[in-house]
Amino acid sequence: MALPNPTLAAIRYGYGLRPGEEPPRDVEALLAQIGQGASERPRFPREGLSGRLDTATRVISLLAAEAKARRAGNPNEDVRKATQGEARRIYRQDAMARLAQAIHSPLGFYERLASFWVDHFSTSVMKSLPMRMIVPLYEAQAIRPRIGGSFTGLLSAAILHPAMLIYLDQDKSVGPDSAVARRTGRGLNENLGRELLELHTLGAGSGYTQDDVRAAALILTGLSVDNRAMQVVYEPRFAEAGPVSLLGRTYQDDEGDGQDHVLMLEDLAANPKTAQHICGKLVRHFIADNAPEELVGAMVAAWTKSHGNLTEVYRAMLGHPRAWSDPGRKIKRPFEFMVSGFRALDLPERNFANLLRDMDDGDEDESPVQKAMDMAGMAARQDTRKKAGRANALTLGALQRMGQPVWQPPSPAGFPDEESVWLTPSQLSERISWARTVARIFGQKMEPSAFLEAALADAAHPETGRVIAQAPSKVHGITMVLASPEFNRR
Amino acid sequence: MSFDNGFLLSRRGFLAGACCAAAAPIVTPVSFAAMPGDNRLVTIILRGAMDGLDLVQPYGDPAFAALRPKLGLRPDTGLIDLDGFFGLNPAAAALMPLWQAGELSFVHAVSTPYRDQRSHFDGQDMLETGGNGKGERTGWLNRTLAVIPRSGSRKAIDINTSMELILSGPNQADSWSSQSNFALAEDEIAFLDRLYAGDPAFAKAMEEAKKTDMSADSLYADGRRGAGITDMARLAGGMLREDYRIASFSINGWDTHVGQQGQFRKAVGALSTAIVTLKDELGEDAWKKTVVLAMTEFGRTARENGTNGTDHGTGGLAVLAGGAVPGGKVLGKWPGLSEDKLLDRRDLMPTGDVREVAAAMLYKQFGVEPGDLTAKVFPGLGFDKGSLFLRG
Repeated sequence: MALPNPTLAAIRYGYGLRPGEEPPRDVEALLAQIGQGASERPRFPREGLSGRLDTATRVISLLAAEAKARRAGNPNEDVRKATQGEARRIYRQDAMARLAQAIHSPLGFYERLASFWVDHFSTSVMKSLPMRMIVPLYEAQAIRPRIGGSFTGLLSAAILHPAMLIYLDQDKSVGPDSAVARRTGRGLNENLGRELLELHTLGAGSGYTQDDVRAAALILTGLSVDNRAMQVVYEPRFAEAGPVSLLGRTYQDDEGDGQDHVLMLEDLAANPKTAQHICGKLVRHFIADNAPEELVGAMVAAWTKSHGNLTEVYRAMLGHPRAWSDPGRKIKRPFEFMVSGFRALDLPERNFANLLRDMDDGDEDESPVQKAMDMAGMAARQDTRKKAGRANALTLGALQRMGQPVWQPPSPAGFPDEESVWLTPSQLSERISWARTVARIFGQKMEPSAFLEAALADAAHPETGRVIAQAPSKVHGITMVLASPEFNRR
Repeated sequence: MSFDNGFLLSRRGFLAGACCAAAAPIVTPVSFAAMPGDNRLVTIILRGAMDGLDLVQPYGDPAFAALRPKLGLRPDTGLIDLDGFFGLNPAAAALMPLWQAGELSFVHAVSTPYRDQRSHFDGQDMLETGGNGKGERTGWLNRTLAVIPRSGSRKAIDINTSMELILSGPNQADSWSSQSNFALAEDEIAFLDRLYAGDPAFAKAMEEAKKTDMSADSLYADGRRGAGITDMARLAGGMLREDYRIASFSINGWDTHVGQQGQFRKAVGALSTAIVTLKDELGEDAWKKTVVLAMTEFGRTARENGTNGTDHGTGGLAVLAGGAVPGGKVLGKWPGLSEDKLLDRRDLMPTGDVREVAAAMLYKQFGVEPGDLTAKVFPGLGFDKGSLFLRG
């Protein structure tokens, strides 16, 4: 199906227009992005999947050795600080790489879906130091390759990843009657069981009970994380012996192979309430806070018919007339706002990479060798620090101030998605400030009216065009394009 | 946006310290040694089209009162008389000591060659590139750096987060920012209000943002309290006191279509603060060798409009301040305000080229040869050593 509005396709289903990038022309072109995106290696983790696993396990064993020495009365502050510094640097590089991925990728729909699912299956780098390294790995390994396949496959990969088990405390949960519980007094942790039902599958208020939450948690027992190898393991010593009843089915683990949780995930994925929950959430994210019922219904039908094939669900969404009506019903979240801003400015990859380099240089600045240098060194260091601060204020620092720092959702429910959260006085002044800063730094040579055309094309209201053209300076004109209602809506 | 402002102060402190220690490699010895390279120039771009007829009011012109029934003042209603014909807007009272000391002049009825379209963007481009038309992409102040005879005079700085057009180009110039770059001027806020007028949810958020302290802080930065412009001028003054000889920055807030009085008072206050702060920061000796040139892309309509403001015009006003200016005069050839003397029956007729004012100051401060000025810095400009702006 040819798209009635390619501009809307880029703004509503991608990260906005970028000069020189052809907006998607039909539904198949949008859907084709998914296969292509899923097969490409993202820019993070920086050292690749197995490389990151090596890094993470090395850092974890360093931390463990230091902790052991500390307990023995021989703390090694240098090792601890160096390790913390490395984890912080790795996170920053990956977070910048995530921004770069979204900015530079021509596969806007795929990138937006990746963000949607990472948010749906939230994990956070703030959980612990190793998580700074593991969450980026999680997105690249568990989420991104599977967003066009079956929901069952995506759900299983997300839940059965060390990042999720650590984030929702599954690595601390043991069956109340398990061998380990009897010996150590440890017990059940319901965190993952609850979020699995409430957030990941059936949805809040869909009729399950506290008994179901407990049942899910019991079925999940035995799953844990081998911290040394950073692998998911099944520990029979942690597992609660069956049978456990959940939503009318009894999970027995007859074979004793610890695979009852796999059956549970399949059943939850196939539950009609899950289809309703996920389809509604997709529509609320992409189209409007009040999801049109007939659109959700069409997607649920496609879900049922295809047994949860996500590409078919997206196809049903994009093929529906309501997917192309009423533009501007959603407020971009800060990450989308920033990414679309950099895209509209057509910031070259090299310039964006320089921002990260400036931030990295700011780190080296703290080394004792540099501190001991002469006054010329001092001036150079101040310059370095200034550049690092500026780069941060343009990117990760601004996301923090606007309330959407990379891989740091406020809760397992992910970042909020409603207009009432993102259209507030302080949010607006933060966005104006950011717009003004990038306009001054990257927009000095641009013509505001041409920039408006590049950023919004036919999505700009004529009156906005008039106001922009009359702006008292080019910088303020560029600022107003980025701060305009049309640019902040999608 | 929170940039590290403390750093800038420490950078200034560092330069001051380095001066006394005379040991820091970053401060070139030549900049302290030679007297010939001791003159300074500060350019201030007044973005948004400053209403020269409001700042320096021709109350002696018989047509003035009728053109400006609300905005026009007389000495008996608060205008500060300058010479019996022109008077200074009381919002600039802080500049009067400079006028009395012969350190302040104004040049009336000047403009760039830009005509007819009255677009801020094109007007500012022409003011900054110093050319006759479009196509030139380097700033005249940058091109000047290559033709200053004495190398010691060449260090230039843009007080901004990035190089503005006037100093952009192939020649080395530095830029430093202060927090004040993020302050929004009154006219910029007014434009944002217009931008959001058609979207009630955004309009409401903007209204509240202006009222809420924390949001307003990031909207106005320190600009509202006047501290922002002080920071910027102190930074410029500190740099010029040490090894820099040319500095440039902008003051926004001059696009006064609606409710001009309040907006104009704030913008004039910022300009006055900038000039007085530069004088204080430079100190007596350096101030004597300094010229501050404030200029705008074009003037505003001679007549008030229907919303207590003025619209885009042509002939404008330049401000000259500093110990090195021919002071205490309103310079320029006054065209008169009767309807037949107005350009298109609406704008003050330009009788001089603002680029000639700038050229005169470059000649006076740095000895740039007239041939270089008319060929390289301001192509197409007529200028010689007999310029009116050198005689004062």
